[in-house]
Amino acid sequence: MAEHKYIGQNYTTPDLVAKVTGRAKYAEDFRAEGMLFTKLLLSPMPHARVIRIDTSAAQAMPGVKAILTVDDMPEPADSVDDAGRVIRANTRAERALTNEPLYEGEPILAVAAVDEFTAAEAIEKIQIEFEPLPFAVDPLVSLRPGGPTARTDGNVWFRPPTPPAQPGQPPPPQPPIDVKDLKWTEEQFAEAEAGRLPMGEVLADQWEYGDLDAGFTQAALVLDETYVTSNTSNQPMETRTAMAYWQNGKVYVHCSTQSTVQTVAGISRWLGVPQTDVVVISEYTGGGFGSKITSAISLVIPALLSKKANAPVMMRITREEEQYIGRARPSLHARIKAGFSKDGRLLALDFFGLSESGPYEGGNDHNATGRIVSLLYQPVAMRFRGMGVMTNTPPRGPQRSPGGAQGVAVMEPVMSIAADRLGIDQVAIRRINAPEGKAPFNGPNPQGVRPHVTSAFVKEALDKGKALFRWEARKARGGTRVGSKAYGLGVAVAAYSGGSVGFDGLFVIKPDGKVYIQSGIGNLGTESVSDVHRVVAEVLDVPWEKCEITWGSTSKHLPWTCVSGGSQTAHAMTRAAYATAMDARTKLQEIAARTLGGSPASYRVAGERVAGPGGSLTLAQAAQKAIELGGKYDGHEAPETVNVFTKRSVAALAGQGLLAVARDVYPRDGVTHSYTIGFAEVEVDVETGHYRVLDYLAVADVGTVLHPRSLGGQLLGGSLQGIGHAMGQKWVYDQQYGVPLAKRFYQTRPATILDAPVHMEWAAVDIADPETPVGVRGVGEPPVGAGWAAVANAVADAVGHDVFRRFPVTGDMILTSLANGRRVTDPLTANI
Amino acid sequence: MAVIRDVMPAFELFQPATVDETLGLLERYGADAWIMAGGLDSFDWLKDRIKRPAVVVDLSQMMDLRGVRDVGGGLEIGALTTLTDLVRHPAVQQRFGLLAQAAELVASPQIRHQGTIGGNVSQDTRCWYYRSGWSCYRAGGNICYADSPTAVNREHAILGASRCVAVSPSDTAPALIALGAEFVLRSRGGERVVAAEDYFVGPDINITQMTVRRPDELLTTIRVPDRFAGAQFYFEKIRDRQVWDFPLVNVASAMTLSGETIQEIRLAVGAVAARPLRLTAVELAVAGKTRNEQTAAMAGELAVDGAVPLRHNSYKILLMQNLVKRAIRGGPMQGEGG
Amino acid sequence: MDFLTWGINPWRQPVLTHISWDLFWASLFAGVMFLVAHASYMILAAHRKRSAEETDAMEAVYKDLPDQIERHTFMARIFHWVMAAAMFVLLLTAFLPIGGIRFAWVEWHWMAGLVLAGSIIYHLVHATVFLDFWSIWVGPSDVPELRAEVLRALGREVPGPKPGKYPLGNRLYHTASVVVALTAIVTGILMMNRIRTPLFSRNPYLFSDATWGITYLLHGAAGVALVGLVIAHVYFALRPEKWWITKGMLLGWITRRAYLQHHDPERWRLRGGKARPAAQP
Repeated sequence: MAEHKYIGQNYTTPDLVAKVTGRAKYAEDFRAEGMLFTKLLLSPMPHARVIRIDTSAAQAMPGVKAILTVDDMPEPADSVDDAGRVIRANTRAERALTNEPLYEGEPILAVAAVDEFTAAEAIEKIQIEFEPLPFAVDPLVSLRPGGPTARTDGNVWFRPPTPPAQPGQPPPPQPPIDVKDLKWTEEQFAEAEAGRLPMGEVLADQWEYGDLDAGFTQAALVLDETYVTSNTSNQPMETRTAMAYWQNGKVYVHCSTQSTVQTVAGISRWLGVPQTDVVVISEYTGGGFGSKITSAISLVIPALLSKKANAPVMMRITREEEQYIGRARPSLHARIKAGFSKDGRLLALDFFGLSESGPYEGGNDHNATGRIVSLLYQPVAMRFRGMGVMTNTPPRGPQRSPGGAQGVAVMEPVMSIAADRLGIDQVAIRRINAPEGKAPFNGPNPQGVRPHVTSAFVKEALDKGKALFRWEARKARGGTRVGSKAYGLGVAVAAYSGGSVGFDGLFVIKPDGKVYIQSGIGNLGTESVSDVHRVVAEVLDVPWEKCEITWGSTSKHLPWTCVSGGSQTAHAMTRAAYATAMDARTKLQEIAARTLGGSPASYRVAGERVAGPGGSLTLAQAAQKAIELGGKYDGHEAPETVNVFTKRSVAALAGQGLLAVARDVYPRDGVTHSYTIGFAEVEVDVETGHYRVLDYLAVADVGTVLHPRSLGGQLLGGSLQGIGHAMGQKWVYDQQYGVPLAKRFYQTRPATILDAPVHMEWAAVDIADPETPVGVRGVGEPPVGAGWAAVANAVADAVGHDVFRRFPVTGDMILTSLANGRRVTDPLTANI
Repeated sequence: MAVIRDVMPAFELFQPATVDETLGLLERYGADAWIMAGGLDSFDWLKDRIKRPAVVVDLSQMMDLRGVRDVGGGLEIGALTTLTDLVRHPAVQQRFGLLAQAAELVASPQIRHQGTIGGNVSQDTRCWYYRSGWSCYRAGGNICYADSPTAVNREHAILGASRCVAVSPSDTAPALIALGAEFVLRSRGGERVVAAEDYFVGPDINITQMTVRRPDELLTTIRVPDRFAGAQFYFEKIRDRQVWDFPLVNVASAMTLSGETIQEIRLAVGAVAARPLRLTAVELAVAGKTRNEQTAAMAGELAVDGAVPLRHNSYKILLMQNLVKRAIRGGPMQGEGG
Repeated sequence: MDFLTWGINPWRQPVLTHISWDLFWASLFAGVMFLVAHASYMILAAHRKRSAEETDAMEAVYKDLPDQIERHTFMARIFHWVMAAAMFVLLLTAFLPIGGIRFAWVEWHWMAGLVLAGSIIYHLVHATVFLDFWSIWVGPSDVPELRAEVLRALGREVPGPKPGKYPLGNRLYHTASVVVALTAIVTGILMMNRIRTPLFSRNPYLFSDATWGITYLLHGAAGVALVGLVIAHVYFALRPEKWWITKGMLLGWITRRAYLQHHDPERWRLRGGKARPAAQP
């Protein structure tokens, strides 16, 4: 598509006015007749067993309607994947309530009452006794000989081998994930004394390619560095509030979710009800950053309480509860040995990373770290070893560039040190090692082949950024001091997955001439809920004003849609939209040919008409014709290729006009990844250690620009989130009692708008990805690592590399390091 | 009894409109009454159900304690004046810029719209152990969780610690001390006036209170004398984030100069001890000296004399030293190189 | 009235923090009430001393004794008064703030505690090596004296044992003080781990919450008991009929007459032969 009318143009999104006027309804804004409220009783201990609960006094209170405990919850259920294989449930999986809390703040029970005040009073009347159990809030403490373990039976997850198939029998399902108590030796821990991450046994996550030893032998410079990143809560603006009720056997859940359609399956599995009996309503979501990809398991609490109390139940999650159950990015303890040639090429990389993964599954971010690091710097040889270690801290989950951001944060300073030691420009060393074209990444697959990306234009992005940031001109100021102010310049490359394939699109051109687009995408604030459908207007050449988008409830007949996570949507759903628009075009051409004569191919769709040798039809007329023709034209027949979910929606919408429906079956060579380069200039006050970001530029390689304004929002918003990781955001835990000390925003310190750089700009290379019809890739994630590491690198440029080895890089670290001539911050202790 | 947070419990609410009415309530309910001004400190405590007063006296309807009055070159600031109003007041900006600067660096714009000067100086400490509702010294117990071999105490005290190592979180308090302000406390029994620095109390003397205000008293007015009107001021607050953050250390000074000779100076530092510290030793040492780098360095060293770091806060000694230096010097180190 | 004060630890478990300070007021009240009761009794009831004739007779027998009988050595007196000063500092620093008089008491309190502990260690050594160690303790052999003293206190004329160097009441008081003060000192030294002193690196987690609770309870209970004991002690020291003992503690000696009047020379034998009269009565 050469000339774009809609793609790459700004527009007013259909949800904007409601958002800025407050008319938008989030989960908490819904009310239902007779609705009750619930409050949660949370564990006061990091690890304990409930030995006695007496709820009699609470239940005797007027207004208290029901109390829910884990005994009312369904067991974790096996699931079946698309290929029909049984996936055995993890018997230790999180179940929203528990009698063996694994972190302080884990919900134990829930009370439903006529209002929150009564529910809270009732909770205070509950007599509950806990038996404290050993706990760990530091992964390294847990790995020490004799150290405590987060679970009674261990501290690391492992997957037992699948038993071999018996002859003539189908292959047995993979056994459920299990837990092991892993300890390292005192000898291995000796390194910790020197501030280096010990490297003991890891269980499964390791791979290798190339000749590592040869690489180190050839290297002109070998670095061995340890970095520790912080745990950071997702804490989106909207907490994971949910309201549920049951009607005619169906459960209606008003929840906060990143994905509308895909949330159904999760709820169905958690509640043990068929997917057809689940209705998800989520019109607006106040963000998730990966913590609400398919909403949150906590929503089963109001759902089950609603069943028990026979009334709708609203569960408003407070900010503090969100800190507990709202997921977080796991910290990464990384040890990096890197060998560089004298011209800056990364010859050998030995990467060792521990994720602090919390007490449940999730949070094994280190795997993505290995993948992203191998992609971004294209090491000639690389070994990756990683492991998640459980702690009694809130459950981890994905957070915007999970693993990728941490990988960039720990690897980028190593690149900076190398550049300085080798006398190479910081942009140049990244360009030398940058991925290009179908760049390989990760370790080899079982066939011995390393996967590759669809495309990478990192060099182009580096060049563009270097020019826009006036890198060469500014470089002179880097590392200089004026009075107490030291200036530094930093650049960082970042990448993350940028899209999936194989989803469906669905819209109806009705006899009023308008295009009614069904969007199964969650409205999580990224605007992809409407952005991707600009493709329909573009392909059909329909004015955007005539496109109506329906979204926000699975009762509204939506197509099978990807989850909005992993930066998939813009890629996956522009493909689906394109496929569906092409289906509409084909159908319009066929209708025109059948009505007006001639071959379908001789008809063109443009200007709200389908026109050709026999004359033309308006879209309205064509829609009317489609209804008359029936069959596939008005949705009475659906293609076999589309998902069963889509088929149900097609059946429901059939007969209303020209129904376009299609699955994205376009080929793709490679795995789609997107890239962002961050450039930052900082000013460090050496008398206080504190610093501010003067200027920041994000340059994106995200394929074709779909919606500039929302792309800019993603680039700058993601970068600022990363800058927050660099500057201040963290968890703090008391080691003695294993409980959090930093719980509120003013204590966990995510970046605020006033921490944003004085100048903040973005740009995109705007080169189409060759493996997708519209050329669009996803963008949500890579900016985080770019902002994070660009700022850290700039700080190092200003005051030296020897100032920090852990994140966030706070003023106290800088001040004490400068005063002592060495780092004095505790190098390895987690959550301080 | 199980514990729940983040839901406000019931209490009897009074919203008196006059000082007399308020004092009557305070006399009647004494220590059972919780005084709430802007609510920014109060709501945390109340919502967490840690402080459970039977009675809350909400001062938001008391219009007569709002506003700044110009009194013979000095100021009379009603304790319920919002920080925003204080910052915007022309007399504060023109003659007592120190206070304007300090107030403007408090928290966030939203908080400054709601928060009052009386509340800002009277607020409780933000020690995260204490704020967790545990029975530490400050909460009437007999343990300090913040000063243990494993405690995380980056934001805690380096001076004046006595069992408790919490720090004063106020930004306006050091400025008011530097300006020689007086705090007017009224009760049914009458009125007493205390110097700004004497309004605050350390844990050595009263470990459960931050101020000398008695339960039956109300802080009604803050008087700023004209003595330092238009003097050389310096205020700096160092914090982790540029908004909505308490000070790691703040410094306030008011200085009169004769040429380059320091005639008179008042200097106070916040967030290093449980009370904002007036540095009288430094004041005496620099008075009569030439304002130069040497004097600044001497002042910085003297300021941190006797400071004892905790496990994670030795940086505060450096920071306090440098901020005092800057206060004397009048700003960050200037010039080329470094 | 509550006897104990409870708090919660970070795991929301109840922890014993200390005794209820109501007990302090109770002890203070009890001490004062005892004082009033005893004083009234002393005023209203008859009180027996060794008769003047009896003492005159003994004076004749023990005429070799010096006029001034050494009762407390200089070092013993120093100990007593240092200890007394430390005790007053301890009690005042402990209880004035509870009574609402606020000042910086902690340093004074633990320093006085160390002085007290040091003086007691000194006293132990001194009493063991230089003094008649057993003269202060109470044992089964004191039962007759106890009986006689009680009866005398009730106004009955009873012959029978007279005290040795230390009257029984004195010795009972000493025993009680030893128990209570040692409890306070031992718990106090442990408690110094919870505050910042040059002695220990601060570690509030040295013991479990329960052990700390008991430590604080014992310290508080001992402190409160000391309030009562000290009130009684001061009261007796100031009573006119006991003034000769108080003077002995100030000057180090008592008169020969007082010695003979109040003591059994057989049970308090003076050293250096001076105490042994040549003749027998």
